[in-house]
Amino acid sequence: MNEGTRRRIHLLLRDGAIIAGLGIFLIWTLAPIAWMILTSLLPHRALITRPPDIDPALFTLKNINGVLEDRAVLVDSFINSAIVACATTALALTLGSLAAYAIARLSVPGGNKLMLMVLATQMFPGIVLIIPLFILLSRAHLIDTHIGLVIVYLSFVLPVVMWILKGFFESIPVQLERAAMVDGATTMQTFRLVVLPMSLPPLFAAGVFAFIESWNEFFYAVILTRTEVKTVPIRISEFSGQYRTAYGEMIAAAMIASIPVIIMAIVFRKYILLGFSEGAVKG
Amino acid sequence: MTDTPTGPTLEDRRRRMGYFLVAPAMLVLILVVLFPIIRSLIYSFQSVKPEGGRFRATWVWFDNYRFMGSDPAVRRALRNTIFFTVGEVVLVIGIALTVALLLNHPFGRFGAFRIILLIPWAIAPVANAVLWEWILNGSYGVLNAVLLRLGLISEYKIWLGDAGLALRMVLLADVWKSVPFIALLLLAGLQNIPNYLYRAARLDGATLWQRFRFVTLPGLRTPLTLAVILQTIWAIKVFDLIYVLTKGGPGDRTLMANFLAYRVTFNYLDFGYGAALANAIFLAMLVLSLIYIKVLKPGAPRSRQQT
Repeated sequence: MNEGTRRRIHLLLRDGAIIAGLGIFLIWTLAPIAWMILTSLLPHRALITRPPDIDPALFTLKNINGVLEDRAVLVDSFINSAIVACATTALALTLGSLAAYAIARLSVPGGNKLMLMVLATQMFPGIVLIIPLFILLSRAHLIDTHIGLVIVYLSFVLPVVMWILKGFFESIPVQLERAAMVDGATTMQTFRLVVLPMSLPPLFAAGVFAFIESWNEFFYAVILTRTEVKTVPIRISEFSGQYRTAYGEMIAAAMIASIPVIIMAIVFRKYILLGFSEGAVKG
Repeated sequence: MTDTPTGPTLEDRRRRMGYFLVAPAMLVLILVVLFPIIRSLIYSFQSVKPEGGRFRATWVWFDNYRFMGSDPAVRRALRNTIFFTVGEVVLVIGIALTVALLLNHPFGRFGAFRIILLIPWAIAPVANAVLWEWILNGSYGVLNAVLLRLGLISEYKIWLGDAGLALRMVLLADVWKSVPFIALLLLAGLQNIPNYLYRAARLDGATLWQRFRFVTLPGLRTPLTLAVILQTIWAIKVFDLIYVLTKGGPGDRTLMANFLAYRVTFNYLDFGYGAALANAIFLAMLVLSLIYIKVLKPGAPRSRQQT
């Protein structure tokens, strides 16, 4: 065997290994998702056959309809989650953009130290925060209300939103704002008419982050909800348990709950890595 | 701006406006972050229990912290948390680095791979938990069916009810969900390593392994450190999976730090002891993060670029 052939075989082997690796990666990542989709489409009888009877002829929408038909099963919790996630996002973007702009541009003394402190508080695990907040909210009769959840969710959403936006505001050339002020615009007018329109991408990134995190949040929701404002993750968790056997509906519900976020993640994927690596240390 | 006569006043006005704009966000953060942090610290030195719809607090000083030393549940949780955290960090970083390297290879540079990677990450943690509860189901689970077909097990196993297996199965479910984000983080890091470094290494006759060891790994120092810190914090905080899959069982074999603090506080209603446990968890995460930063020394100038 000459040198050239050996080299070619070597390269072929390496390419083969890479393709095999990609194949394993695909199976490892997609198999659970595929099983999720199949389960939601299979009737109960096929699911409790050993091994499961995966026959496309059996496919049915019964699980999905079962989850969607009775409002109390999932739809009500979708509304609760939407209210909480939208309110949290809107509040965080409003408060966060104003504060971030002030710190980035309006020479608030100690602004950068303040931002570092805001970041440092995100090191604290949720359990540290929720114990006093639970006591506070029960005294204020805000347990099991939308407002209670939104207040608590701001604790991990607002800091991240502030960090994303402050970074962006600092990167805008200051000349534009100066020009607006020379033309007689007030600070608020400059912010609203010059800065905000340029800031749509980071506002979007921050908004997507805030929405997804509030939509998926479970730990605080377990503690703060009873009967009235059960969010989607709470309803999903109620399907599980040793004595629950509605496997098809459980998985269909989990899938339906995940679809909005998966779509958001895929559509806004460019913004996400930035937002989430900033927010990753959240409590 | 100082050369205009109205300069100082304008600057003053802007600063006053600044205070005005920062205030609402700061008030919220004081209420939902700063106040609870301080209050938790105080509670941890008290016995706080609900009595007739009110909370009664009495000072017990270090009793809560002293009690931790003799609490068998704490020892269990500590052991499980260490096993889980080490396993999680090693497996997730190992798999994620492999995935990132594969996707950075010309064969792996399809947008579709990256989109696939987003799916496990975007699935709600609770949805992931019920999915794995179903996959691991002892009577009808697909894992049992597949392994039996492959001849790797001889009978269906109750994965989550088995004292020796339960924690490993929870780990599996969490690793699957955690790999994508870390892989994307490391992939972004890989793309920041300039190609000329690889070309130079090749000219110097470096082997594949040497290029990985002396170009790739140093280039990934910052994202790797971030990944290790994040994954450690996430592993210590894991809650959703435990709550759905095992509630800490069987026999506290999957009891972990965060779940223990939750259980003590909201099931046993011992808010003071729960606060002490919560503060201990924070301290552990802080110390670990500081050690990582000291050992791994992130912040090599080039890799600090924005991901």
